[in-house]
Amino acid sequence: MSSLSQLLYTARDSLTAQSYGLSVTGQNITNVNTPGYVKRDPLLETLALGTATTGSVTATGLRRATDVYIERRELSARGSAAAASEQDKQLASVEALFNDLGATGMGQAIDGLFSSFSALAANPNDPTSRGAVLGAASAFADRANSIANSLTDSKNELLKQAQETAAEINKRAQSIAQLNQRIVQAETQGEDAADLKDQRNNLLLGLSELVDVRTIPDNKGSIIVQASGTTLVEGTEARSLSVDLHADGSLKLMSTSVGGAGSSTEVTQFLTGGKLAGIKEARDVDLFDVSSRFDKLVFDVANAVNTQHAAGFGQDGVTGRNLFDVGGVPTDAARNIRLGAAVAGNPAAVAAASDALTLPGGSGNAVALADVFNTPLSGGRNAAETYGDIVGSIGQKKSALAQSVETQQAIKEQVQAMREAVSGVSLDEEMVSLTKYQRAYEAAGRVLATVDELMQDLINRVGR
Amino acid sequence: MRVTEGMKYSQVLSNLANITSQHAKAAQEASTGVRVGKPSDDPIAAAELARLSASSSQTKAHLSTIDAVRGDAELTESTLSDASDVMARLKEIALQGANGELTAEDRKTLGIEVAGLKDTLLKLGNVRGTRGYLFSGSQVTTAAFDPAGAFQGDDTAHVVQIGNSTPTAVSTSGAEAFVVAGGRDIFADVQSLATALSTDNIAAIRQSIDDVGASQTQLVNARARSGLVLSKLDTSQSVLSSLDTEQQKRAQTEGAADPYESYTRVTSLGQSLERAIAVSKQILDLGGSNRF
Repeated sequence: MSSLSQLLYTARDSLTAQSYGLSVTGQNITNVNTPGYVKRDPLLETLALGTATTGSVTATGLRRATDVYIERRELSARGSAAAASEQDKQLASVEALFNDLGATGMGQAIDGLFSSFSALAANPNDPTSRGAVLGAASAFADRANSIANSLTDSKNELLKQAQETAAEINKRAQSIAQLNQRIVQAETQGEDAADLKDQRNNLLLGLSELVDVRTIPDNKGSIIVQASGTTLVEGTEARSLSVDLHADGSLKLMSTSVGGAGSSTEVTQFLTGGKLAGIKEARDVDLFDVSSRFDKLVFDVANAVNTQHAAGFGQDGVTGRNLFDVGGVPTDAARNIRLGAAVAGNPAAVAAASDALTLPGGSGNAVALADVFNTPLSGGRNAAETYGDIVGSIGQKKSALAQSVETQQAIKEQVQAMREAVSGVSLDEEMVSLTKYQRAYEAAGRVLATVDELMQDLINRVGR
Repeated sequence: MRVTEGMKYSQVLSNLANITSQHAKAAQEASTGVRVGKPSDDPIAAAELARLSASSSQTKAHLSTIDAVRGDAELTESTLSDASDVMARLKEIALQGANGELTAEDRKTLGIEVAGLKDTLLKLGNVRGTRGYLFSGSQVTTAAFDPAGAFQGDDTAHVVQIGNSTPTAVSTSGAEAFVVAGGRDIFADVQSLATALSTDNIAAIRQSIDDVGASQTQLVNARARSGLVLSKLDTSQSVLSSLDTEQQKRAQTEGAADPYESYTRVTSLGQSLERAIAVSKQILDLGGSNRF
């Protein structure tokens, strides 16, 4: 049976517990906009004194409102969205290189070369027309060089970005490992590690945008972080990722234990999400595909023109000269193509005549050169059609990626909303909690005042 | 489902960003009139536009070629016309010379005129166009005929591409127009007439009447062929101009925005944006601090 003094202690405990509730509510309100903050709920329990019921209350700590499955889904959704967004961003710069609609593509250079042959046929003996052919051929080579160099620069830039991303991943992995250690220490000592877990959660969210991430919690408060098929963080240990190149020029992702003492493992094939995956896909698939198709187009056009040009005769009666120097294989043809050394600076070398006897006014070869642009190349389509196919495929890929970015973004937002629904702070709820703890605090105060009055009354009566 | 502050702000931000982005794109389309500004806007249309641009460029190149060769073709036709006129005058002189009432002195005088007309014919045969000597075939830097009227050129036609069919010859052979490749050596016939007149050889003069007549026919036929070239150029130009217009129309259809549709979309999305802003304000106002 409770005595008045026991009631005093009960009121005191209640004041302490309600204050704690108010304090946690205040924390929630304060951190309403803090990224990664997980709403806390105060844990209040009745206070037992041995087997006796005291009717008192105690705050045993707080609970972070999390759902580990939703958190995992968010990490995955962020990784996929970041990968799609990065790939889309990179492809946008490739698209700009082939945007004839914005006058930056190769179409004008191809058309210009055709037109110059056509004009040459109209007046084969005119030095201006011959000079125009060399000018158009030079413009064709320059434009091909410019696009190929931009594609190469993009590849190099993406390698640098991938290496910087790997460095950022390693930095975050180290921080997560350190936080693992602090959380385990705090929980072992019975301290509240909620803020540390929020910090770790924030790092994980950031990490998931760089590389695909999976987490596995252990029972000591620590988590194992797996990225690209390798264990990146386990307890207080973190492995590091590094980016290098394969012999074929594609990216190679390696996982190494810290300090480099352990063995390195290639994990490229397991990379599925995050910025790093987007960079790899954009560089090793999109850019390589566009580069090789463009090289093939330039190589085929240059060879077709060279074959026809070599069959004709310059004004000096010389035959067998190439209009372009392009090398023997399609690889890097767009980067290496140059105006042929045998014709550069020598308009008379342009082979307009198909027969030495028809010099200087023969136009047969000029007509045949113009006709090269209507003749199917090695792929069965003519130059303009092949170029149109490249433009169309870049557009299709970019368009599909833009849709994928929207889809992945929508999925990410949906999962974020699910996490917010569990872990986010609702000011409406906090207002109710604030009122709830305030009223309980006031009521405990009233209990205290009532006990005080009763005790005063008792003292007065006993003392009379 | 719990609705938290973060969800409200995210939703408002996401909605506004989405509609603003659509509105900006529609506004750009409406203001520029361009629907396909980059390949990803409509990949199929972009590929088609690239091919259309190449076709259009070829069409324009063919039109330029026609413009470039038309001058020489017209000059050829008018030169052959002038040469035919000269031949007509020569035939008149031959008929006049065959008249028995004329004295030897009269025929000698006519012979001097014929020699002058031969020089005129030589000048016409060696006329130059933009490409060089018109009747020299591919030997455009060499006069077609030497002072004696011997042909110095070749029979290579000047060919150009003025459509997607086979190349078209746009020159007239000097050999066929003036010398034996056409059947008659006009300069030799004229020289024979001049000689017959100066030597007062009436039989030879009478023979020359037929020869000069045949030569005139040869020139008239050559002129007709050059007229055919001009006619072909005209026909091709007309076809190519129509094709050019059609290609421009197709490019317009593929790449341009429908002004009514794009204006309607801008208006509709503008209204959606206004509604979204109003709703966002309401959502955010509901979470005002006055509840505390």
